[in-house]
Amino acid sequence: MRDREFALIAGLLAISAVLMYVFPSFAVENSAGQIDWVTLPLVAFPIIAGSVLMAFASMQPYRLKERIGQPIKLISLAFGLMMLGISSGLLFGWLESINWDLSQYNRYELEFEYAWMQSIGVSWHVGLDGLSFSMVWLTTVLIPIVMITTWEEKMGWYHHPLILMMGGALIGVFVALDFFMFYVFWELTLVPMFFLILKWGGDDRRYAAQKFFIYTFSGSLVMLLGIITLYFLQPSSQALIDQGVLTGRTFDMTQMAIGAQAAANADIAWLGINMQKALFLTFLLGFLVKLPAVPFHTWLPDAHVQAPTAGSMLLAGVMLKMGGYGLFRVCATLFPEALLEYQWLLLTIGMVSLVYGSFVCLGQTNLKRLVAFSSVSHMGIILLGIATMEPLGFAGAIFMMFAHGIISPLLFAVAGAFKHHYHTLEIGSMRGMAKHSPWLATFMMFGWMASLGLPLLAGFVAEITVLIAFWKAFGWWVILPGITLMVTAAYYIWSMQKTIFEGGDAGEMPESLGGKPAPDISMWEVSGMMLLAMLTVLFGVLPWIFFDMMTGYAFGLFDGILLNVIGGGA
Amino acid sequence: MSSAGVLEVAEVTRVQLFSEGGDTWLALAPEVTLLSGLVLLFIVPNLGDAKWRIPLTQVRFPVLFGGRRFTATSDPRLPAMLAIATLLLALWQALISQGADAKTWLLTSGSGAEANILLRVDAFSRIFEIMFYAALLLAAVASIDRLPARRAGSEIQQLIDNRRQVDFYLLLLMTAFGMSIVTMSMDLFVLFIGLEIASLSIYVLVAFHKETPEGAEGGVKYFIVGAVSSAVALYGISLLYLWNGNLQLLSNSATGQIGLVERWSEMESLVGLPLIAFCFVLVGFAFKVSAAPFHFAAPDAYSGASSTVAGILATASKAMGFIGLIRILVMLAAPADGSAVWMFGLGVIAVVTMTWGNLAALSSSNPKRMLAYSSIAHAGYMLAALAALGAWAWGGENDVLNSAPTDAGQWILTALIFHLVVLVAFKLGAFLVLALLETEGEVNDTAPLAGLARRDPIVAVSMFIFMLALAGVPPLAGFMSKFLLISGVVKMSAGDAFVAIAAGDGWSLGQMHWTFWLALAVFLNSALSLFYYLRIGVIMFFEVPSEDRRKPLNKAWFLRLSIWACAIGTVIFGVWSDHLINLCHNAALAVL
Repeated sequence: MRDREFALIAGLLAISAVLMYVFPSFAVENSAGQIDWVTLPLVAFPIIAGSVLMAFASMQPYRLKERIGQPIKLISLAFGLMMLGISSGLLFGWLESINWDLSQYNRYELEFEYAWMQSIGVSWHVGLDGLSFSMVWLTTVLIPIVMITTWEEKMGWYHHPLILMMGGALIGVFVALDFFMFYVFWELTLVPMFFLILKWGGDDRRYAAQKFFIYTFSGSLVMLLGIITLYFLQPSSQALIDQGVLTGRTFDMTQMAIGAQAAANADIAWLGINMQKALFLTFLLGFLVKLPAVPFHTWLPDAHVQAPTAGSMLLAGVMLKMGGYGLFRVCATLFPEALLEYQWLLLTIGMVSLVYGSFVCLGQTNLKRLVAFSSVSHMGIILLGIATMEPLGFAGAIFMMFAHGIISPLLFAVAGAFKHHYHTLEIGSMRGMAKHSPWLATFMMFGWMASLGLPLLAGFVAEITVLIAFWKAFGWWVILPGITLMVTAAYYIWSMQKTIFEGGDAGEMPESLGGKPAPDISMWEVSGMMLLAMLTVLFGVLPWIFFDMMTGYAFGLFDGILLNVIGGGA
Repeated sequence: MSSAGVLEVAEVTRVQLFSEGGDTWLALAPEVTLLSGLVLLFIVPNLGDAKWRIPLTQVRFPVLFGGRRFTATSDPRLPAMLAIATLLLALWQALISQGADAKTWLLTSGSGAEANILLRVDAFSRIFEIMFYAALLLAAVASIDRLPARRAGSEIQQLIDNRRQVDFYLLLLMTAFGMSIVTMSMDLFVLFIGLEIASLSIYVLVAFHKETPEGAEGGVKYFIVGAVSSAVALYGISLLYLWNGNLQLLSNSATGQIGLVERWSEMESLVGLPLIAFCFVLVGFAFKVSAAPFHFAAPDAYSGASSTVAGILATASKAMGFIGLIRILVMLAAPADGSAVWMFGLGVIAVVTMTWGNLAALSSSNPKRMLAYSSIAHAGYMLAALAALGAWAWGGENDVLNSAPTDAGQWILTALIFHLVVLVAFKLGAFLVLALLETEGEVNDTAPLAGLARRDPIVAVSMFIFMLALAGVPPLAGFMSKFLLISGVVKMSAGDAFVAIAAGDGWSLGQMHWTFWLALAVFLNSALSLFYYLRIGVIMFFEVPSEDRRKPLNKAWFLRLSIWACAIGTVIFGVWSDHLINLCHNAALAVL
């Protein structure tokens, strides 16, 4: 019986490996001669593989639990690494020769469109550009790192496949160029995260998981109303009706962008300024809840504190960025006049998030809640970058999404290791961690420094770019975010000093350890955190790897539509 | 009213009912199948060696009906097989008649052009027949395990269940038959007959498991309230007869007989008699769809009935009510210009229904009661879409008319039909999971659901899929149907916005028809409903199973088969629903 089980698992492994390597010969080529690396290996396979693994695991008898857990983790990791290989291959040009820096408004690489639901005008339309590719690469690099970091914790069979499914759904959001597909994947990301929080979370996980799901779902429902209204405000095309589309309209983002660009060239507001503003607000609500921005941020502290390490790392690393991504992909691309009209709103909300998040952090004693509110304040920086209405500000905001996506998983890995080994998250409960847990202390210090914006690390690039753009747009008002960033440094250094350095020779141990010796973090956690730390240094020293494509995207956006709007003043 | 986009039907054939030649039987093939199944179900288990003595002789003539039953045909498992075979055959016949060259049959009461049209077999009736037969088939398959018939049973309960087999499946087939008549009827009285055939069968089905006090109470309540509302509807129908002189929906040009549709649209202003009659008829159908304030019997009925029957109530019976509503609201009372008189009232009822349903479900701890309130809420969503349909030609003072209200109306009907069809997948599926839990004891609170994920992961995941579909989470069928409903409402309330925008005139949110905000109400209620749907998921995945339910769940393969079919259907119709949308669109074209 055991041999049969393992033969089955080995067979699954082999089949999946073969599929992944053989599929290019079956895949479709688009008009630019590129192969569809996105639909199957990056979006469909992770979700399907994750489901199959979980279904397989659920049918095993209980006594096989230990033996099944390891192969399932290995298969999940293998898929994650293959996804990373593909996206890195696309980045460095091993798979396709793409120049990511050349970016034009509404032009996408690896653009593929398949018919999906013809009768309502929905197609499976994927494409990558400077904005989305950085997010996709970020997701594919985080999936294996998250799996590695949580490798040895006793998580059962379903943990790693759920992470894999989460990755597939997240990439689906970033590559979607059809509003229906975008919404489906937007909501699909909620389900694995709900289960991650519910099954492996902290004491209050039941409340936090439900609050997270319902809160973000409600925000997205308003966005769905906006999507449907946007759909029916498009003109009905007889050509489409003849093709079998019953309503004569499509959900295609690229078609709508063409219309928006044409309207901006003609100096009129696309769809009329009133409807554009109304639609902008409905989408904005959905994105602000996701970011999260004050005052819609109250789901984040609960979700983050109660979520397990993997959940927090993915939630903070990628899920929050969906909100920022949406602001660029929808609001800036399709509703530029409304964006201009509501620049003050974004500015206000961004400043409030930044300031409120930082000041609330000062009073936190729970380590994870501290990092959660620091996420809120960093998302405020993204809003500030968009509010500057400068290409540099846009690029800085996108790079902040990227940099925060690398740094904040590191922070949550540290916090998770803290919880795992010391069974407490209270900041004041221990002193002198440097003495008995040098690895954890090192990474904590590194992560904290990265998050507060130490130069040569990725966070600095983002912050300085946004601040420069802010100065260009608003002059001496830049002092306000500048000072708030000092407050950011304050709470980080305070918590670091308390935890790592004080406490005499042996350091004080938290009571939750009950007198047992202090453990240091395991090899797996060290590996995961080391990889994140190296990436932070890499993108702090060589940010141009992604920054060039982000500036390309921002300039493409401005040249394509925004300069018309700002200059013309529609 | 005729519409611009009429489905290109191959031919419209008038056939006199029961005339020579087999045309009637061809058109009514599924119903004939059902009737044959009924007769077989009545006769076959009663085949025995009874003999009849010819009087004044000693010759005994074998009558074959009665006496000591033959062992082969009195097998208690046989009625289930017969009923399932009948329903399968009827479903197959309904499916294959959906082809592109499908005929439209008009079945009349006499020959020639002067005869009244009683039944119309078209795309609309076919899709609902498919839906009814599929739902009842799933319920019948599930009942093999829910109402088990074992050959050698000695316990009292087993003997009772063996005896009840014929009754149960007979009632199922009667329900199917009545529902078919409802979908095909073109005459209000025929509609009422079909409605009553189905309703009376359902009343008995609800009270079927009369061993429990809740079962008996639910059945009696449902019967009394249902009988009263049917009586009110019949009174309304009789008033319509008084007003019009006949109960035909469509007019007959040969005889000059004016149907109800034409008579209503000829009304210059609202006359009292038809309006009151219309309201009465509305009451009867509103009870069937469990709209507030006519829904009070529903929670008790759903929680008292066995879960399979409650599932039929929630899906098939509700669809029957909506067919009636479509007939009288959309065909009868929708004007050629101006908005419908019932629009505002229906909008209010819709919002009250959905809010009441969701709030009551939030505080329910009995899962069957919660599902009953959730189906009340879903009825509210569908009523909101119907209310938007009434915004036929709004605008007026803004000089921007909805120039293609028929298109928007067709789209709303498409969405409505789609929602009713896929509701079978996840609503009936949820009730079937509860039926599986009922096979090991009563389900009166959430304790049986606790820890289901540990006992049986596949069933728990299926239940969670059904819950997410009910809430409207992508990529499931429930999301698709809610999406389509909202898109219908937005299309009608946006009207000619796209024309105005393309012409360069502005358009603002305030210019949308007020039914646009019904869409927002539906969304807010969906968010509200997520709470109790997620709560089921949390209970299943989070809690520890209760003491008396620690053993593995019953095998019950047929019941599990039904659950898997529903789960697969929910996922498939969420991801690939193109074909079904086209079918529903054809059905909507046949009405408007």
